[in-house]
Amino acid sequence: MIRDELETLSDTVEEEHSVEACTKCTACNTVCPVARSTEVFRGPKFLGPESERYRDPHETSVTAGLDLCSGCKLCEVTCPSQVSIQEYIRRAQNKGAQENGRTLRDWVLGHTRLLSRFGSLTAPLANFGNRNPLFRLLMERFVGIHRRRPLPKYQWLTFEGWFKRRPRRNAPTRRTVAYFYGCWVDFNERRLGQQVVAVLERNGIEVIVPRQQCCGIPAVVNSNTDLARRYGVENVRRLSALPAGVDIIASSTSCGLMLKHDYAHLLDIPGAESVGSRVYDICEYLWMLHEAGELKLDFQPVDTRVLYHAPCHLKSHGIGYPAMRLLRLIPGVRVEEVDEGCCGISGTFGVKVEKYDLSMKIGSRLFEAVKAAGSDSVLADCETCRMQVEHGAGSRSAHPIDILARAYGYR
Amino acid sequence: MPDTSTGVVVIGGGSTGAGVLRDLALRGIDAILVEKGDLASGTTGRSHGLLHSGGRYCVNDLAAAIECVEEGRILRRIAKTTVEDTGGYFVSVSQEDEAWEPRFVDGCKTAGITCERISVEEARRREPALSTQVRTVFWVPEDGHLDPFYLVIGNVESARRRGAQVRTYTEVTGFVKNGNRVAGVISRDTVTGEETTIGCQAVINATGAWAGFVARLLDVEVKVVPVKGVMVVLSRRLAHAAINRCHKPGDGDIVVPGLSVAILGTTAVKVAHPEVLPIESDEVRLLIEEGAKMLDGVTTARAMRAYAGVRPLYDLGAQAEGREMSRNFAVIDHEERDGIAGFASIVGGKVTTYRLMAERVTDLVARRLGVTTTSTTAEVPLNDREDEMDQLRHRPAQLGVPKPHGEELALQPLLCECELVRPQDVEPWVTDPAVRTLEDLRRRTRAGMGPCQAAVCSYRLAGRLVTDRGVDGRTATRAMADFLETRWRGVRHVFWGSQLRQAQVTAGLHLELFNVDRQLQFEGDDPRRAGLFTVPAEVEAVGQP
Amino acid sequence: MRCDIAVVGSGLAALVATRTLQRAGRDPVLIWPGLSSLYFLYATVDVLGYANVTTAQPVEQPVTGVRQLIADHPDHPYARAGLAALQDGSSLLLEWLREAGFNWQGTLAHNLLLPTATGTPKPSCLVPTSMVAGDLQRDEPIVFCGFDGYQDFIPELAASNLSRAWNGGRRTVTAVRVPLPGIKPDRLFTSIDLARSFEDATFRRDVAGRLRRAVRDDGARLGMPAVLGLTHDTDVHAEFEKESGHPVFEIPTLPPSVLGLRLFDRLRRHIQETGVEMIWAAPAHQAEVANGRCLRIHLKSAGREQPVEARAFILALEDAVDGAWRAGVQTVRDPFFHRVLAHHANPTERTDESLFQPQPFAAIGYPVSDRLQPIDEDGRPLASNVFVAGGAIAGYDPTGIKARGGMAIATGYRAAQEAMAA
Repeated sequence: MIRDELETLSDTVEEEHSVEACTKCTACNTVCPVARSTEVFRGPKFLGPESERYRDPHETSVTAGLDLCSGCKLCEVTCPSQVSIQEYIRRAQNKGAQENGRTLRDWVLGHTRLLSRFGSLTAPLANFGNRNPLFRLLMERFVGIHRRRPLPKYQWLTFEGWFKRRPRRNAPTRRTVAYFYGCWVDFNERRLGQQVVAVLERNGIEVIVPRQQCCGIPAVVNSNTDLARRYGVENVRRLSALPAGVDIIASSTSCGLMLKHDYAHLLDIPGAESVGSRVYDICEYLWMLHEAGELKLDFQPVDTRVLYHAPCHLKSHGIGYPAMRLLRLIPGVRVEEVDEGCCGISGTFGVKVEKYDLSMKIGSRLFEAVKAAGSDSVLADCETCRMQVEHGAGSRSAHPIDILARAYGYR
Repeated sequence: MPDTSTGVVVIGGGSTGAGVLRDLALRGIDAILVEKGDLASGTTGRSHGLLHSGGRYCVNDLAAAIECVEEGRILRRIAKTTVEDTGGYFVSVSQEDEAWEPRFVDGCKTAGITCERISVEEARRREPALSTQVRTVFWVPEDGHLDPFYLVIGNVESARRRGAQVRTYTEVTGFVKNGNRVAGVISRDTVTGEETTIGCQAVINATGAWAGFVARLLDVEVKVVPVKGVMVVLSRRLAHAAINRCHKPGDGDIVVPGLSVAILGTTAVKVAHPEVLPIESDEVRLLIEEGAKMLDGVTTARAMRAYAGVRPLYDLGAQAEGREMSRNFAVIDHEERDGIAGFASIVGGKVTTYRLMAERVTDLVARRLGVTTTSTTAEVPLNDREDEMDQLRHRPAQLGVPKPHGEELALQPLLCECELVRPQDVEPWVTDPAVRTLEDLRRRTRAGMGPCQAAVCSYRLAGRLVTDRGVDGRTATRAMADFLETRWRGVRHVFWGSQLRQAQVTAGLHLELFNVDRQLQFEGDDPRRAGLFTVPAEVEAVGQP
Repeated sequence: MRCDIAVVGSGLAALVATRTLQRAGRDPVLIWPGLSSLYFLYATVDVLGYANVTTAQPVEQPVTGVRQLIADHPDHPYARAGLAALQDGSSLLLEWLREAGFNWQGTLAHNLLLPTATGTPKPSCLVPTSMVAGDLQRDEPIVFCGFDGYQDFIPELAASNLSRAWNGGRRTVTAVRVPLPGIKPDRLFTSIDLARSFEDATFRRDVAGRLRRAVRDDGARLGMPAVLGLTHDTDVHAEFEKESGHPVFEIPTLPPSVLGLRLFDRLRRHIQETGVEMIWAAPAHQAEVANGRCLRIHLKSAGREQPVEARAFILALEDAVDGAWRAGVQTVRDPFFHRVLAHHANPTERTDESLFQPQPFAAIGYPVSDRLQPIDEDGRPLASNVFVAGGAIAGYDPTGIKARGGMAIATGYRAAQEAMAA
C-alpha cells in the first residue's frame, strides 16, 4: 500500500536491485569484457533488463546468447542503478536447461567438487591424463573442454585430510573462525589453505574447519542453479550451526561472494542472509584485525616486486582491495596494481572449447601488462585468475596470503 | 463536383471504423475512411488491452457478456495475430468479494463463459505474484490481451489490400446533401488546411465518443456520454494472465499484462469533452493500491506512465451513470429515426465487440445500397502475414543469436532497444504518408513505448525522417521534441522512483548533450505544442558535396 | 574500515574532490555505488553556457558570467562554492588531465561554441582537443560525416539544423556519409565498437581515404561522431586529421558516450595508480552522528554493511541517479540522515509541463551551508565534518544554463577544502 508513513517505494531491497531500475545508460555493455572482445555477444543490457521484460515463467526460456556471459559481474558493479543483471541471466539459463536438458559438460563442470575428489583420489593418474595430449583430445571431443587449457593439478592429500590429521593446538586464542576453504584449496592447492591457517593462528585465532560442500558457483554458471541451491542449503545448514561469534573466512573471492551474497539473493536460501553477514574474505578479515589492533606486525621483510590483479568478483564484494592495504604493511614488498580488467577465464568459462580463444583474447591486455612489468609474480585472490595469468602471461601467480605467510616466517 | 467519389465514407479510425472498412471491403463495396487524428488515437488506442471473456459483465449485463464470449472466440480465430491468449483469473480479496462469488459463477454459467475454481496454492503456482490477500481464485481461460494498435492497423491494411482507402489527419467539417440524402462529406486536412469533398452513397459514423459532434453537422442528435478511464502502465508484466477482481465492477479492478508491460486500470469519471481527460493523482494512487490488493510487486514496480482513455457510453435515455450504463452498442438508422438517408451511426460498445458492431452497421448500409453479400469478417483471417504478437514475444530469442552475415556471423541492430524494434520494422512506415508524427510511428511499431520513453530512439527516428523521408532538420528535430513531450505527458503522473531517474537521463541527454531546448527556442516554436510534420513544399537542400 | 577522508560518488565532483585531497597530501578513499552520468552524459566541461534559462545568447566569458550569477543569486551552488573554487578547481582538473595523458584545452575566460549531434550550437568551456576544431567562432565550412548503418549520429540532421543556426545561415554546412570498411550497415555495431576499430591504423586510413574522396571542399573541417579511439584517442585523432587532410572534430552522441568513458576510465586508473583506493559496488547510506560529528557512514557491501570511519566525508553523489536521495510517490528521503528532503502531494508537481523547461525536481537535494555542510531547517549543520558536492545539493540545476561540469568542479573542490579543515 502506498501510505505517507511508508518509506519511499525505492527503499525495499527489490527495488534497489530490480531489473526495472535500468535507465538504459549502456554502461554495462561498455565494461563487459566479453562484449568488448567479440561481435556476437549482445551484452548484459540486452540479456538482462531488456530480455527480462519478455521472460515469462509460462513460456520457454529465452536462452539465446546467454552462454556467452562469463559471469564476471562487472556489469553489476558498474551499473548506476545497481541492477543485478547476472541474476536474471543465471535464472534464465537454469530454466532453459530445465526445459532443454543439460549437456555432459554442464554436468561435469557443475559437479566440480565431485570430479575434483575423483581427481584427487587418482591423483598421479589424473594429473598425467590432464597433461596427456590424447586424453585431452578425447576430453575436448566428448566433454567440450579445450585441449590447450591447463587443468589444475590434483593432490592426493586434501586440505581437509591434512587439517584433520594435525595435532591439536593448545595456544590460547582470542577469536575463532571457521574456514570455508573451497574445492580449490581442498584438492588443488592445499598449501594455500595451510598458509591461511598459519597466518590466522599466528595472530591468535583458532581455526575450525566445518564440513562443507562446494560453494556452488560452478553449478550456477553452468546452468544449474538448482544444484547450486542444494549445495547452498547444505552449507548454510552447517554454517548456521556454528556458535555465535565465530566468523567465516573464505580465501577464494568467488566462494566468498556466493556465501555472502548469492545464497540469499540468487538462490533464495533461507538463513543465508545471516550466514552471509558473518563471512569475510581472508584479507578483509586480517585488515579488520589490524584496525582492531590485533594484527601482529612483526613481519620479516619480504624483498619482492609484485603485481596485484584484483579479481572481478572481488569488486562485487564492495570492500575495496584489502590485500593491497595489507601488503603495504610488509617491509620490502613493492606492490603495484595492474588494472587491465578481467583476466578472461572467469571460472569455468575459459575452459570451454568454444570459449577458450575468447577468454585468452579478453585477458590479452592483462597478459601484456604483466609481461611488460617484469615483476616477480602476480598476486590474485582468485584461483582461476591465478591459473589464467600463469597460462597467459607465463608469470608466477599466488594468493596475497603467500606474501603474508612468508612475512610471518611460515616455511 | 466532389474531388473524389466512393461508395461509403467511414468516419472514425478506431477499432469500429477499421472493422467497418474491412467489412465493406470484403463485401466489395468501395470505401474511404477518414479520421481526424491518427488511426487508433482515440478510444481504441487508449483502451486497457483486455480481450474480455465477459466475466466482468455476466452478472449485471448478460447481453454484453454473451457478446464478449462469442466475439472473443471469433477474434481468437480470425485476429489471432493481435491476441495474446493469456487467460485470466478472477480473485476475491475480501468478504464482500466472497459474497459476490456465487453470482459470478451463475453469471458465467448463464453466459456460457468457461470458469473454473482453482485452489489458491495452484493459482500461486501458476502466478507467483498473486498477493497474500487473495482468498478465492477462478480461472477464466477466455480472458486475453488484445493489442489495439495491431488490431486497427491489421483491419485497415486488410481493407487497403482490397482497395479501400484511408485518410488520416482528415476531419469531417460538413456534409453534402441531396435533399434529405447524404451525398458526400466535406473534409479538411488538419495539417495543411486543404478542403476536399468526397462524394458517396452512404456515410457510417463510427466516431465513438465523438459521434455526437459528427451527427450535429447534420443537425441530428446522438447522445454519447464520454466517460474517462485512467490507466497506469508498469514497465513489466507481473503476471502472465489478466487478473480481475471478483466483485461488482469498480475502479482499478483489472490488471492486464501484455507483451512486456502490465496495465493497471481503470476509473470511470464522466467528462464534458472526449478530448479533455485530466489525470488526477488520486486516480493514479487508487489504481496502484487496488492493483496491489491482487498482485504483489505492484507498489514496488516501476510505473512507466499513466494515460487516460474515454469510453463512448451511449445514453439509452435512462438515468444510469458512467459504468452502470450498458456497454452494449446501438446501430442508429438515421433514415428511420431522423429522416436523413445515407447516414448511419454505430455507438457504444467496446473494442472486444468491434467486429460485431461493424458487421451490424455494415449490414444496414449494405442492404440500403442493394448489396446482398453478407459479412465474412468472422471467417476470413485478418492477417496472412506472420503472427505479430508471437513475433514480438519471441524477438529476444531471435536477437540473441547472431545470424550469418556474408562470411561471418553478426547480430541485428536495434532502433528502439527497449521494445526490441529493428530498423526494418520502422522503415516501411517512415515513408508512409499516413504517418505524420513520431507518435503515429510509435503506434505502428512500438518504438518509444518502453521504459526509457523514447529517450534514445527519438533521435534515431528523427534521423530516419531526414534520411529516408527527406524531411529537413528543423522539422525532424521538432518531431523528435514533440514525441518526447507527448511521452513526457504520461511520465509526469508517475514521477517517482526509477522513472524519475530515467527522466534525469533523458533530460541530460537532450537538453545538455544535444542542447535541444535552445534549438527549439531558436526555431521560435512553442515547444509545448505537440504538432505534426509534413514534407515542406521546398525541402531544404541539405547538400551533398 | 578507517580512512582519512571518504569521498562518496563517481562523478566529476567526486573525482575533483578526491584529486584535490590527494594533491594536498591527504589520503582519500573513493567509494562509489556504480558509474555516474559522467560516464554516459559528459563530453565537455561546461562552466556556464547561458546566463539564465531563457536567454538565447551564449555566455562569452564563463568566469565573468559566473561572477555575475553569484552576485545575482547568493544561494546558488556556484555562490556557495565560490568563484575561487571554480578557478582553482578548473586549474587542478586541467593539470590532472595532462598528467593523466589527456589532451584538453580551454580557459574559464572563453567559451567555444560547438555543434551538438542535432547540429545545435552549444557553448562549452573545457574540451578535449579532438573537439576544438568544431568551434563555430571559426569560419571554415563544416562537413558533418556519418557512416552507413551507424544510427547514433545523423550528419544530414545536424547539417540541416546548423546551416540555419550558424551565423544567420551565412556559413556552409553539408553532410556526407560513407560506408565503413568491413562493417556492413545491417549489423549491430556500437559507438564503442567503432571507437575500437578506429584504433586500427588500416581501418583508420581506409575511412580517412573515403572521406577525403567524399569531401570536395579542401578548406572544410570534418565533424564526426566521437568514435576516434577509445584509449589512444589523442594519437588516433591526430593521425586521422593527417590522413584525411582536414581538421577533424568529434561530436558526442547517444550513450554510451565514448568521450565520457575515456574521461572516467583514464582518471579512475590514474587515481588508483597514484595510490587512492577505490571501493567499487558499495552504495553508501546511514551516517552515524554523535556530538555534531559524523563518525561513520555505512556501505551496502556484499553480505554485510561495512562501516567506514573517517575524519571527514564528502557526499558527491548525483541527484537520484546514483543514490543521493530516493524519490517515493510523495516523499523524497535522504539515505544518510533520513530527513525528508521534499514532499509533494501530487508527484506531477515535480515536473514542468514541458520536458524542455526547468524542472522542479532539479531543486530537490540537501540544503547546505556556506561551507557546503548539509543543514537542518534552522540552518544548523547536521554534522560538522560532512560536506555535499555535486548534484546532491538542493537547488542544483545545471541543465538550462549548461553548467554541469563547472558546478561539479567548484563544489567538489570547495567540499575538499572544507573537508580538510574539518
